[in-house]
Amino acid sequence: MSLTRRLIVCLDVRRGRVVKGVRFEGLRDVGDPVELAERYERDGADEIVFLDIGATHEERGTMLDLARRTAERLFIPLTIGGGIRTVDDMANALRAGADKVGVNSAAVQRPEIMTEGARRFGAQCIVASIDAKRDGDSWRVYTSGARVRTELDAVDWARECVARGAGEILLTSIDKDGARTGYDLELTLAVSRAVSVPVIASGGAGIAAHVRDVIVNGGADAALVAGIVHDGVETVTGLKLALHQAGIPVRMVA
Amino acid sequence: MRITLFDYGAGNLHSLAKALRGEGRNVRLETDARAAVDTDVLVLPGVGAFEPAARALEGGRDAMRDAIAAGLPCLGICLGMQLMFEASDEGDGAGLGVFGGRVTRLRTPRIPQIGWNTIDDTNDPLFGRARLETAYYANSFVCRPLDESVVTAWSTHEGDRFPAAVRAGTVVGVQFHPEKSSAPGLAFVHEYLNLISNP
Repeated sequence: MSLTRRLIVCLDVRRGRVVKGVRFEGLRDVGDPVELAERYERDGADEIVFLDIGATHEERGTMLDLARRTAERLFIPLTIGGGIRTVDDMANALRAGADKVGVNSAAVQRPEIMTEGARRFGAQCIVASIDAKRDGDSWRVYTSGARVRTELDAVDWARECVARGAGEILLTSIDKDGARTGYDLELTLAVSRAVSVPVIASGGAGIAAHVRDVIVNGGADAALVAGIVHDGVETVTGLKLALHQAGIPVRMVA
Repeated sequence: MRITLFDYGAGNLHSLAKALRGEGRNVRLETDARAAVDTDVLVLPGVGAFEPAARALEGGRDAMRDAIAAGLPCLGICLGMQLMFEASDEGDGAGLGVFGGRVTRLRTPRIPQIGWNTIDDTNDPLFGRARLETAYYANSFVCRPLDESVVTAWSTHEGDRFPAAVRAGTVVGVQFHPEKSSAPGLAFVHEYLNLISNP
């Protein structure tokens, strides 16, 4: 047999609470991160991502405390992203209880952070988080919570991240995020073909068929979901079952 | 039961420490390799790279190897399993050499291997009792034992078949992360500790 395809649940966290917005805006409170993470594990989520969308210094401390509390109760991998600026930030997040760290804006500003992190902690815990938006025939990289446009081409940038030491790519389509009309299959396919590390597709999940499509037709190793499971539009159990029934190898919980 | 988690100074040990805890079990972290063997069970965790870990082991390598040879139960996880072997292509330094063989890079284009993989061809009842059929991996390197009879389960990543687990008595090495493999992973850890309590 071989690796199963993963379903990853992302929790946007601000001031210790899970929030969800549409296209990076309009935040609503959806619950307690530790309780939600545990519930998703029971339902069969393969991983949890905490994305720290508060950017201030004191909020970093809240996130590390949250990581500590979560790691003692969660027994599937936990990735922490958002606000990771330095290799010391990575060390603090990993030490607190994260298994992997996501870097986004800091990697664009200083790509060496990925190399240094991979050397110190191993490539398997460095996740390059890329927010991409369609721009003509290609996709442009945005940073700072999708607010700042860069000159980077998303596919080229993904390749460079891997060359620099990233062990995974978390690829979010800004166009699709929160819209629930399906993942950006073309973007996902272009990136998954360009790199040799696992690609996690993010942004756009509305129904189970979207998750299946991004794995079958987008070449994604993993699909990230947020809003649809927080709102109860779909359940993690239901999504995993749909993947299983579509003939995709997934881990099923008893 | 005194359980000692050898801390190489890299990464998250919270989940593993939590997974090891239970009624009548005292879990402590130890950064000194020589002091780490004063325990009932030694656990070598799986976070970090081979070279710095081998360096952390250096002063106490002989003491650790001797204690294991004299019957100290030991559970090695991921990098911890790799440290039970002689050496690694990942970096310089010597492992414990409890098992003969080297650690080499996975022979596949897509590395690291990150995700849940199936546990195949197991001949160790620990897996059946724990119902551990799919486990979480995050690794680029795997162990290549000289004597394959120590292998108690296999996994395959894109055509490269590698040991998921090795065992010699109460010395068990696993390439996956039981502490990240949800309920069946935790059950595996508990079955291992039960095995030591009731040999």
